[in-house]
Amino acid sequence: MAQCVQSVQEFIQDSFVPMVAVLCSEDAEKVTRKNNLNFSELLRPFCRLTSEGHMRDPSNQLQVVKNLRISVNNVVTRPSVPSSGVPGHAHRRLLSEVVLTCQPAEGGVANVITAGDYDLNISDRSLKASVPWYSDWRDTLTELSTSKHYTATTPWFEAYRESFLQSMPASDHEFLNHYLACLLVVSSSEAVPVEKFLKLSQEQHRIQHSGEYTNPKWFIPNTLKYYVLLHDMSQGDEQRADSVYEDMKQRYGAQGCYLLKVNSRTAAAGADEQIPDPWSQYLHKSSLQTPVVVNNTAVENNVGGTSEVDGHDSEEKGSLDNTHPLQLDTPSDTPGSLDALRAVAVETKPPPLTTGVAAATSHGACLTLNDHDRIRLFIQEFTFRGLLPHIEKNIRQLNDQLVSRKGLSRSLFSATKKWFGGGKVPEKSIAELKNTSGLLYPPEAPELQIRKMADLCFLVQLYDLAYSCYHTAKKDFLSDQAMLYAAGALEMAAVSAFLQVGAPRPYPAHYMDTAIQTYRDVSKNMVLAERCALLSAEVLKSQAKYSDAATLLIKMTSEDSDLRSALLLEQAAHCFINMRNPMVRKFAFHMILAGHRFSKAGQKRHALRCYCQAMQVYKGKGWSLAEDHINFTIGRQSFTLRQPENAVTAFRHILTNDSQQTSTQQGAFLREYLYVYKNVTGACEVALPQLPLPCINSSATRVYFGHERRLAEGEKQAATHVSLDQEFDRDLAAMWQDLEEQVVAAAKRGVVPATFQSTQCCLNSQTDNLRFPLAVVEEPIIVEVVFRNPLKVPLVLSDLSLLWKFTLKDFNRPQTQEDSVGDAVPISNEKEASVPRVRVCVTFVSINFFCLIPLCLLPQARLKLLPHQTGQLNILGLVYNLGTSVRGRQDLEIQGPRLNQTKEEKTSVSHGPDRRLDPTITPPMPLLEVFFLQFPTALLCGEIRKAYVEFCNMSRVTLCGLRVASTHPDFFTFGSSSLATPLTPLSPTSFENCSAYKTLATPPGATPGSVAAVTLVSEGDFGSGTGLRGGVSGAGTGGKGITEIPLGEGTLKPGESTQLPMWLRGPDQEGVHEIHFLFYYESAEKGGKISHRVLRHTVFICASRSLSVRATACRSNTLPEEEEEERNGSMLVFVDVENINSSEAGVREFHIAQVSSSSKQWRLHKCINPAEDKDCKLTSRERGKLCFRATRCKPLQAEKYTFADLSLGNELIITSTTPCADFFFRRCQPLESLRPPVAMETQGRHSRSQGVGHGGGDKDIAGVVRKCNEVDLDIIILWKAFVVEDNKQVILEGQLHVALQTIDKEACSLTPKEEAQEMVLLKFKPELPPPMTRPSMEQLSHLIKTNLQYPESYSHPFNQKRYLCMVPVTLTLSNCSLAQVDVIIDLRHKTTSPESLEVHGSFTWLGQTQFKMQLGAQEVMRVQLRACFLHAGVYNLGTPRVFAKLADQGAMCETSQQTATPALIIIINST
Amino acid sequence: MLTRLKTQVPLFSMNSYTKLREKLKLSGLSLASTHSHVIRLGRHSRHNSKMAVCIAVIAKENYPLFIRSVPVQNELKFHYTVHTSLDVVEEKISAVGKAMADQRELYLGLLYPTEDYKVYGYVTNSKVKFVIVVDSSNTSLRDNEIRSMFRKLHNSFTDVMCNPFYNPGDTIQSKAFDSIVSAMMVQAS
Repeated sequence: MAQCVQSVQEFIQDSFVPMVAVLCSEDAEKVTRKNNLNFSELLRPFCRLTSEGHMRDPSNQLQVVKNLRISVNNVVTRPSVPSSGVPGHAHRRLLSEVVLTCQPAEGGVANVITAGDYDLNISDRSLKASVPWYSDWRDTLTELSTSKHYTATTPWFEAYRESFLQSMPASDHEFLNHYLACLLVVSSSEAVPVEKFLKLSQEQHRIQHSGEYTNPKWFIPNTLKYYVLLHDMSQGDEQRADSVYEDMKQRYGAQGCYLLKVNSRTAAAGADEQIPDPWSQYLHKSSLQTPVVVNNTAVENNVGGTSEVDGHDSEEKGSLDNTHPLQLDTPSDTPGSLDALRAVAVETKPPPLTTGVAAATSHGACLTLNDHDRIRLFIQEFTFRGLLPHIEKNIRQLNDQLVSRKGLSRSLFSATKKWFGGGKVPEKSIAELKNTSGLLYPPEAPELQIRKMADLCFLVQLYDLAYSCYHTAKKDFLSDQAMLYAAGALEMAAVSAFLQVGAPRPYPAHYMDTAIQTYRDVSKNMVLAERCALLSAEVLKSQAKYSDAATLLIKMTSEDSDLRSALLLEQAAHCFINMRNPMVRKFAFHMILAGHRFSKAGQKRHALRCYCQAMQVYKGKGWSLAEDHINFTIGRQSFTLRQPENAVTAFRHILTNDSQQTSTQQGAFLREYLYVYKNVTGACEVALPQLPLPCINSSATRVYFGHERRLAEGEKQAATHVSLDQEFDRDLAAMWQDLEEQVVAAAKRGVVPATFQSTQCCLNSQTDNLRFPLAVVEEPIIVEVVFRNPLKVPLVLSDLSLLWKFTLKDFNRPQTQEDSVGDAVPISNEKEASVPRVRVCVTFVSINFFCLIPLCLLPQARLKLLPHQTGQLNILGLVYNLGTSVRGRQDLEIQGPRLNQTKEEKTSVSHGPDRRLDPTITPPMPLLEVFFLQFPTALLCGEIRKAYVEFCNMSRVTLCGLRVASTHPDFFTFGSSSLATPLTPLSPTSFENCSAYKTLATPPGATPGSVAAVTLVSEGDFGSGTGLRGGVSGAGTGGKGITEIPLGEGTLKPGESTQLPMWLRGPDQEGVHEIHFLFYYESAEKGGKISHRVLRHTVFICASRSLSVRATACRSNTLPEEEEEERNGSMLVFVDVENINSSEAGVREFHIAQVSSSSKQWRLHKCINPAEDKDCKLTSRERGKLCFRATRCKPLQAEKYTFADLSLGNELIITSTTPCADFFFRRCQPLESLRPPVAMETQGRHSRSQGVGHGGGDKDIAGVVRKCNEVDLDIIILWKAFVVEDNKQVILEGQLHVALQTIDKEACSLTPKEEAQEMVLLKFKPELPPPMTRPSMEQLSHLIKTNLQYPESYSHPFNQKRYLCMVPVTLTLSNCSLAQVDVIIDLRHKTTSPESLEVHGSFTWLGQTQFKMQLGAQEVMRVQLRACFLHAGVYNLGTPRVFAKLADQGAMCETSQQTATPALIIIINST
Repeated sequence: MLTRLKTQVPLFSMNSYTKLREKLKLSGLSLASTHSHVIRLGRHSRHNSKMAVCIAVIAKENYPLFIRSVPVQNELKFHYTVHTSLDVVEEKISAVGKAMADQRELYLGLLYPTEDYKVYGYVTNSKVKFVIVVDSSNTSLRDNEIRSMFRKLHNSFTDVMCNPFYNPGDTIQSKAFDSIVSAMMVQAS
């Protein structure tokens, strides 16, 4: 239970006080009326006696009466509360108003439980309720459970209790609120005051004894009459008053009368004097019993009539509405048109007009402080001289009576007890008893006399005596089965037992329980039961029996009175939280119940407060259903209480939570919310409030700078660039950044500026948003906002637009001019004055309608802004209509990524800024658009296709420095800038079936493929080539994939566009290739904030298989022809071409149109194909072989590439010109970089097998040996494919490259698919030093080329006794290397394999069978040999073994040289 | 004093709890608006009712891990009831001394009876609470049966906890657990 201001003892004492009636003459009434008070009201503030009184108890012991209070009331003959126990309507209304007006103070201090945020201030409270900080509340809870002091006060409950107790009807079974005495008041201005006194005395007697009135009730038949002469100091004659008083003293005795002088203050004097007004706080609560006399009109009959009381009721209703009982300066007796007031509803009633008394605002206006003292003195005098002796006398009398009867009754009782054999009177059999509440004792019954004496004792604080009397009375009543009487006695016995000083016996709580039960169930008197419960609960509470108190209170709740139930439930809730282990949840639950009852009782404020308090327990604990319910109720109550802001926050809370409610429920919530919200916004139009729905996933917000683009425009295909439809891909982003870095490096001559930041066109959560993004004026900014609808019902948004703030800044001039708009500017408001100016800066596009379907994951809205001026733009949030009519905003606040750099950042949680929504608008920049024409999507591997690119400058600024970087630089070329390409058709329309290549008709006479046409080209001519090679040669330009685009004058004027041809070559690998282009360009005007811009393009090319080319180079074994002056200078090149195209339907056949070579050292010389048909045709899966002879180029041309073209058809394609050579150079690069490691590896393996230990000479052996075997010859196969497309034959062209590197090693146009590097073992030891490079056996076996020269057939007559046939054979040895070589020729060497003997038969070499010689560099030596045959037959002469070693390598073994192919000789027997 | 409270409540105010129940017919929420109707329905269907009307699992930190009640419209009321019963659970736990906490019986018995329902409690050693609400007119349920229901519930809950994909502290969404609970509940007809 909440704490009270009074202590329990005080409270109980004050609940039962001696009652004093007042009868007042008209004149006296007039005197007091000057002060706006009647007589009883005048006395009321002084009714508590500050000094101690003394009286003797029946045993003549002197007892001290402390802190006594008396109650002075006008005599009212109409019962205020029907004695039936059911409170009347008026009574209820009064109580409800008392509670209504007593609200928690706004300051909130009084109503705070010290243990935490128990702030009951409503506006404050609901604000907190909307922020479910779990930890916050947990702290509160723990504090609650640890703290011992709860000082929550519930003044409305105390006010209610006081009013309730004071308005208790006087009943017959108890005497506590019966009148003990009567004050007869007469004014001194009366002509004959004594007569008046007599009259009043008679009046009192009539009321008490005539039997006309049941009300008021009187305690004792001979009521104490106390005669008061009221003297008005301002008017009357003081001496006369004194004399009258003397007279009175004579007549009534000095102790039975009093002269009270008041109104000593004149109206004029001392107006400024501040006199305290002690009346105001007393007047409301008890006014029901003390009717206020209205408006100075003399009341005909002081014993007021029915109509008058009615009037008071309604009047009070009016005044109570508008005043706080604890506040000062409010008129209690506002007169007015009572009927009108009655009609007006309680809540909304305006303050009633004061029509009559102007001075009605203050009480006691004519009283000085002296007068106050006089009144105080009067009360004291009356009590101590008049009342207490009177009571004392009566107690004695009663006591004497009882003692005299005691013997009789005692014996009687004991006799009956014995008679019936019972022990004690069965208290517990109450339930069995029939309803005996009707039983009435006559007023003079001895049982009642005991009770009367007990009550008297109780009133004057003789609690011991009172207890014993009550106890006796209880027994008597019970034995008589007078249940109501018994219950009353039980109740008071318990109370007086509690109040006894020193407490000789424990508080009999069960007395109370029995009493309550009896009142309720037997007597059906809820009022009494309630009083009993209130007392009992208070007592239990004081004894810290909170749970008992709570139970008691909860039991008292019933359907008949919502207000009472509400108050009691609330008190019960307070009991729960005050327990030693506070039961917070029970507290909350009962608060909710209380809140519900309050709202039923019309006490909306209290209801709201209860719900808010309960909310604190449920908030953030996961009990969402309950939480939602409370929030909903809070919302409703707040709304009805005109606190729409709180209502909105409460409703918002329901909607933002992921609620478990059903969709219909959510729909209802939403409707209610929107309705409330609308009312709020209708009230204030200043700032748009924040809307809670739908949820904005602000981190998923994307910002796109630039126009929305259409990708295809007729034939033209625009560069894909970046669009909002693309998903962010980290790898791709890194790739683009890398490309951009490369191209910037190339543009800045190899140096990437330190401030370089890659261009980001689309910002999202994964991009780097630390800097302010740069946007260009007149280019739109598109913001994509991602919503989430947490509800199960659809949400309709309309009129979405962005909220922004713009600061104008001229970047060309230093001075800045602040001009901010937005923020407070609701953009949608066309009536807004600043809109024209807004339009100058930024225009916006809004979305008209947008429906969020529930559970749809990520609906997005794209909103566009178009800045017209430079400056700083801040996008703040969104404005939209929710539902049909509610307009509100939601801010976009994006939290940056969590910082994780320094130690502090790692240990704390801090986030970096996110500037996505704060673009800087910069001066105009060129804007490039790239369109592709006739751009294929599918190509054969190696196919050459010509396409066109169109570059457009869309802006007002000149563009320059156009470059392109690509991930596949070998895919495309723009042609070489140095060589004019007049032959290419200038426009795509004239292109049609023309070849992409530059061709020449072959001279008519010449056989195809006979002799190669030779062109010399330097690599530098192909501008692209330098770029390509640059990276490899280590120049550091970094521009390995960068191509400068040859624009006309290097610039593109505003609005200008250029079309350029572009050749494409299908990638060598089949499959789908993703090819990225990054176009780079700069503004011609330097010094802008943006240094460059880029445009991205991605194409997908599907490459299908065409031809597979394998080529091998062999040393020709034939002797160099005589005319070739160079030695060792010819080679055979075999080219195997296979059609591996799999689509037989599409590609009919391939023609090998031409084979060209490109090398610095070699060139194709002529075709030595034996086939007749030189024009090689390959249908599906066919394979063809071509043989060529290659010769060395002239040494002086070493730095230039020699292109040799051998046409197999009737057209000669000049490969040294643009498309062909371009692609050739572009593909070279990767191979070159591949080569060295391969050589290293093979040599390494070799040397390991041979053992280490050879000196530094090894290196040059390797070089020498490699050189000897090296061929650097690239073969270009140009083909034509005949393809049927849409029943039309199309000829496609293409070129394939094969790089021959080593003799006898097959090279393939398709680089074998590189096996993905298997898991490399982690190596912790440092790698072994690279092993000695030693030439492999195989390489060493190529040092010497051998050739046998002999007649193909030789006739010899064997039968003419010339048995031996001698044939001269010349063995030619040529040194292929550039070093001296020691050679050993061994003729005796036999092949060990037996079958070779069988096959070839045998012959022998004659003469010297072993030669040792040394061959100089590239020296050719001939050795004459003779072979001797015995029979005719076919012999293989290739038996000589040649061993060679480098001359200066002494330790090395000679290596057997590769044998030549079998050299067959036919020996014919000529006979 | 504290222990007396829960037994005392129904002593002579059986109808005071009708009032509590009535109070739950709180304004605005349709959740509770069909309340009394539902109760009647529940009574009619009692002949096929065998067991609990509401089963709840409450985390150590006293937020619900799982609540299932049979008259779905009455959900809010059961939420309140279960939530309020936690006070009694805590009281019962704290009544057992620290030293005895290990040997404490998991089954707490009747937490508090209302006019319509009886609320039983069970607390695991890890302070997870199980609450079973039974129709108070259901006299066929003995203490032993309630115990075995709790044991079953506990076993199933342990299974849920053993699931490596279950994140401790999340609401329970296990189908197995749900079916165990459904088996214990009154079949809503």
